[in-house]
Amino acid sequence: MSLDNLISNWSKLRVRRPQVDQYKDSPYKWAMVIDLDSCTGCNACTTACYAENNLPVVGKKRFLEGQAMHWLRIERYWGEGEESTQEFPEQGAAFLPMMCQQCESAPCEIVCPVGATHHTPDGLNSQVYNRCIGSRYCSANCPYKVRYFNWYNYPESAWPSPLELQLSPDVTVRSKGVMEKCTFCVQRLTEAKSKARTEKRNVQDGEVVTACAQACPTSAIHFGNIADSSSTVAKMWKAQQVELSADKQKKDMKHEKMPAASEVASGVGASVEAEKLRGYRVFEELRTYPSVVYLERIRSGEV
Amino acid sequence: MKTFSRIVLCLAATLAGVSAAPVVSADAFVQGGPIGSQTSDGYNALGPVVTQPIEFPHNRHAGTRANGGMEIDCLYCHTYARRSAVSGIPRLSKCIGCHNMIESVKEKPRIKTLLAYWDRREAIPWKKVHDLPDFVRFNHERHIQRFIFDQGRPSREACGYCHGDVASMTTARRVKAISMGWCVSCHEKEHRIDAVSFKTGHGPNDCWQCHH
Repeated sequence: MSLDNLISNWSKLRVRRPQVDQYKDSPYKWAMVIDLDSCTGCNACTTACYAENNLPVVGKKRFLEGQAMHWLRIERYWGEGEESTQEFPEQGAAFLPMMCQQCESAPCEIVCPVGATHHTPDGLNSQVYNRCIGSRYCSANCPYKVRYFNWYNYPESAWPSPLELQLSPDVTVRSKGVMEKCTFCVQRLTEAKSKARTEKRNVQDGEVVTACAQACPTSAIHFGNIADSSSTVAKMWKAQQVELSADKQKKDMKHEKMPAASEVASGVGASVEAEKLRGYRVFEELRTYPSVVYLERIRSGEV
Repeated sequence: MKTFSRIVLCLAATLAGVSAAPVVSADAFVQGGPIGSQTSDGYNALGPVVTQPIEFPHNRHAGTRANGGMEIDCLYCHTYARRSAVSGIPRLSKCIGCHNMIESVKEKPRIKTLLAYWDRREAIPWKKVHDLPDFVRFNHERHIQRFIFDQGRPSREACGYCHGDVASMTTARRVKAISMGWCVSCHEKEHRIDAVSFKTGHGPNDCWQCHH
């Protein structure tokens, strides 16, 4: 983006996201659906992410200091309000894979002093390493805490020879002082889009998936293009009545208004239907408009 | 034997699709000038001067017939450019494929070096001339597909947009800056999308297209 372009199209570039039908005419809007009922917390997605995106293994000490570099982490929750004498109960953990939510109205984007993070036409929240100066404002402003900072020069230590040979040549190896985060495996997306353009078509559903979705043994992670209404992910968003540009989904409305007895009897009212809906997005009330939909767990308690 | 080698060469040339003389628009690129000299587009970041293990005569292979070249298409040797991100250095067997048959030049010093590598079963350690920083990802395939296959331009012109007129050089050297501003100066212009359509479009201008 040149300065001329910035000045002449200022009002156009300053549009507030998201708008209704924002991606109607655009070929791609990458999004995810994660089924928490299928997630077993096995960490295969995290491992796949480490391998795909050249993530350094930081070691136990730095991990405990909160300096782990896992773009995709499995959050673990125990039953709320349940009394237990042990530090951890024998069973009953609930898992939630948490990665960059690729917010439409991303809090990190607006605070970057050098424009190293910005919105791509595909609806992704990009991070440009060679532009980043390491101010860490973005990480401070991220409600999901999914941005990771390189406190050390990991290329020197994380891959002792010959381990550097496992590094993916399609992903930059980040050096000290640079912020990084989940990219929805943009190197795969770019490759798929290039291939599709050469063949004069759009990327088909299922043609490209992220490393985590590919590795998930229970297929809990679904990845796709919601600008294409026939894609699996778009259908799942629709089935769960999740709106990209809404800050509250149908599922959460059921907690607000209990249906009247007459409504239940006659089957009218959206709240009856809402009982079956499971789709929600994390911290929607902050109006970040994330691109990742989580499907609520159905099974409850101990398995 | 001489006639036979001519036939082989002609065959190679025909395979590469240069039997019909291409019309090359000269304005699209400028000639290099001496190594390290100022570029025509005002940039001067041409990188170090690279000395190759063999002083490969691009002008003899790809240059015009009038200048004693054989007009072999760029893509005959740099064949990966049309189907992958990197254009690749042609493997030694590609050189030998022709040069095994060409008796007339076998005694020349450069060819002797070439054949010595072949006899030792050793790859020639060519050095990179157009080297981008590690955080940049350039895709040859998309550019070749667009300019050569969609728009029907001769490869000497299309490759020349970034590499200059290599067909007039011996070993290739950088004549364009290949800096980001220079890439973007082309990407932000509206160009016709193919040879027949009046529709225009510009290249991607998203950071993540090249930096990820």
